[in-house]
Amino acid sequence: MTGIATRATRAVASSEGRRRRLNGGGPRAGTVIAFLIPFFLPFVLFYLVPVGYALWQSVRVVRRTGGQYGTSYTTFGGFEQYAEVFQNSEFWASIGRIGLFGVVQVPVMLFVALIMALLLDTPLLRLKSFFRITAFMPYAVPGVIAAIMWSYLYSPQLSPIVDLLKGIGLEPDFLGPGAVLWSAANVSTWLWTGYNMLIMYAALQSIPQELYEAAKIDGASNWTIAWRIKVPIIAPSIVLTTVFSIIGTLQLYAEPAVLRQISSNISSTFTPNMLAYAVASGNNYQQAAAISVVIAVITFVLSFGFMRLTSKKAGL
Amino acid sequence: MSRKVTHTRLAVVAAAASITVLAGCSSPASSDNAAAGSCEPAKGKVTLQYWNTVPGMDKVVDLWNKKNPNIQVETKNISNDQYGAIGNALKAGKAPDLAQVGYDQLPNLRTQDAFVDASACAEATAAKSKFVPWTWSQSSFGDTGVFALPQDTGPMALYVRSDIFKKYDVAIPTTWDEYADAAEKLHKADSDLTITYFDPNNAEWFNGLLWQNNANMYGYSDDKWHVTVESDQSKQVANYWQELISDDAVRTDLAHGSTQMYAAYQKDQIASYIGAAWGYSMFRDNLPKQAGKWTIVPMPAWGANGTSGNWGGSTVAFMKDSKHLYESVKFNTWLNTDPEALALENELGGLYPAATAGLELPALSKGVPYYNNQKIFDVFAESSKKVDTSFTWGPTQKTVNLALQDAMAKAAAGDGALADALAAAQEAALKSMQDQAIPAAAGK
Repeated sequence: MTGIATRATRAVASSEGRRRRLNGGGPRAGTVIAFLIPFFLPFVLFYLVPVGYALWQSVRVVRRTGGQYGTSYTTFGGFEQYAEVFQNSEFWASIGRIGLFGVVQVPVMLFVALIMALLLDTPLLRLKSFFRITAFMPYAVPGVIAAIMWSYLYSPQLSPIVDLLKGIGLEPDFLGPGAVLWSAANVSTWLWTGYNMLIMYAALQSIPQELYEAAKIDGASNWTIAWRIKVPIIAPSIVLTTVFSIIGTLQLYAEPAVLRQISSNISSTFTPNMLAYAVASGNNYQQAAAISVVIAVITFVLSFGFMRLTSKKAGL
Repeated sequence: MSRKVTHTRLAVVAAAASITVLAGCSSPASSDNAAAGSCEPAKGKVTLQYWNTVPGMDKVVDLWNKKNPNIQVETKNISNDQYGAIGNALKAGKAPDLAQVGYDQLPNLRTQDAFVDASACAEATAAKSKFVPWTWSQSSFGDTGVFALPQDTGPMALYVRSDIFKKYDVAIPTTWDEYADAAEKLHKADSDLTITYFDPNNAEWFNGLLWQNNANMYGYSDDKWHVTVESDQSKQVANYWQELISDDAVRTDLAHGSTQMYAAYQKDQIASYIGAAWGYSMFRDNLPKQAGKWTIVPMPAWGANGTSGNWGGSTVAFMKDSKHLYESVKFNTWLNTDPEALALENELGGLYPAATAGLELPALSKGVPYYNNQKIFDVFAESSKKVDTSFTWGPTQKTVNLALQDAMAKAAAGDGALADALAAAQEAALKSMQDQAIPAAAGK
């Protein structure tokens, strides 16, 4: 494997070298800037500026002139908003809830995605493109629509599934206090498994067939090939999808917000993002900004930490 | 990997730089408290923006536009996220000229400096005599200006499925005690049937019940707000509903206005609805098959105390970024006092007018076909007279409502009691006012 990789790198390097020589020195600065602007302009406008604005808002506090309603103005408040976030038990409860959600949902989803990707990759499976498309299809459904659709399936008043289960003597309460977190997790899993599967499948496709042939000659079964060869090779993709999933979990909003419309067991502070929204909707934009910044930092630490941990372990 | 690190570092540096830049140009807003706008008519044609949540309002506006070629109005329906839309537009400096705002949210937006005082326009101040007094008092903040014109109110009443009550031989209740008895009887007769549902996610409705029991939650004196969300009156209401919930005599799994709620009514699983005047068109439009089965009677009373509650109702507010105050006043006054406009709003959107003239509309003295030709508006008119007019809202009502809802949902799920929800709401009220630098204290 390493041999192949090095050879490929060398080939690319030498072709680049040739091109450079043909051009007589590197590309001009103007060309570089022209190519970079389509990336850099939106990056500044939609990433750096909002982040900067959030940081700025988060260090401000509201003050007010006297009277029954007064007039408000904002002024520098140092870390006052952050101190409030750290003391907010609702915030930590929402982080805990999301933690539980992620610890269960992410491994389940990625395990299913991996199994599906491996099955798609076996030579035994027929109708490959059909299965690939159907598995990927849920991802094409916008998250809010998916949540609305599932909310009908969960609702005892409208759901054919609940009716069926009642027919065999079960009394499911998908929206009950204990179950609603997992009902939301199910919507996320349904939405994202196909997407993750596709990333893993794409990685599997790039493994050279010679490896399998060599393994077969050595007497490896399909099972051994899958677990001893395929999975380790696509480990970087698995790490990547895990990082995406960690970020997605911490930013969970649409699914619980939609289920909230029909279940009172989802509070307005159910996930950190919902809490931030609720606080902002109460006109406390500065506190909402501080919450957002803390969520971003936690997301960064967790996803980056996970990447560091796994890359060290797997030597990626 | 290393490339990513560089990116992040770059982002942090750039963000830090932008903070410094932005911080440099911030300055406190002027200390003028909601200055009155000037009332000069514009030269030539004007187009006003009017945001609302009322079904059929576009047709009312069409009527105005036909009659007033020089003051054209554009409407936008914001029922999806009413106060989110208004709040964000205000923050961005892009609020419409006029926006629908519920009475309970007026003080909240007032503390955000959302309105312009229209009292420079004679037509606006003259409108006072045309409205039910408490609606005027709430939208003018006790006559300190004219910040909005009242549009509709929500005097409450009891919607009854008389056929179900008859079937199980249960008398239609007139007091809350009788209502609780009826609840037990109906649920005993049919385990799938409850007298009503308690929606823990609907603070506005619950506030209406508190209002009925004279549970005044806010007052202002000695330079600060006084918060009494948790009081003997409010606890009485909370404990009453807690008992019904604990006995399974009401269900708690339905959200107001949801498909699931209508489905439950459709399946004859709920025998009554404690609602406001504007709800009449909701049932008419969503449950056409139940025409003739509903009767509307006065809200159950607390013992001999015959006061009624109010749920919802709205104003049309003058927003501070408007450049056409004169024209806005003209349109707003027509919209909320003209008999033709009021009749249309009642028919299409179910609005129950806040204008006293509206209460005498011919349409409101006729029988309504869906309700067996019952003169239902007589019931609401009677209810309207019995609404406690001293009731006021807090300046952070939205946050308090959210806290109340979260705690009510916990109670409904068996974690704590509704009385605890009042304590949570009280705490949220004080905390949110502190966050907004509004001086506040607990107690009267």
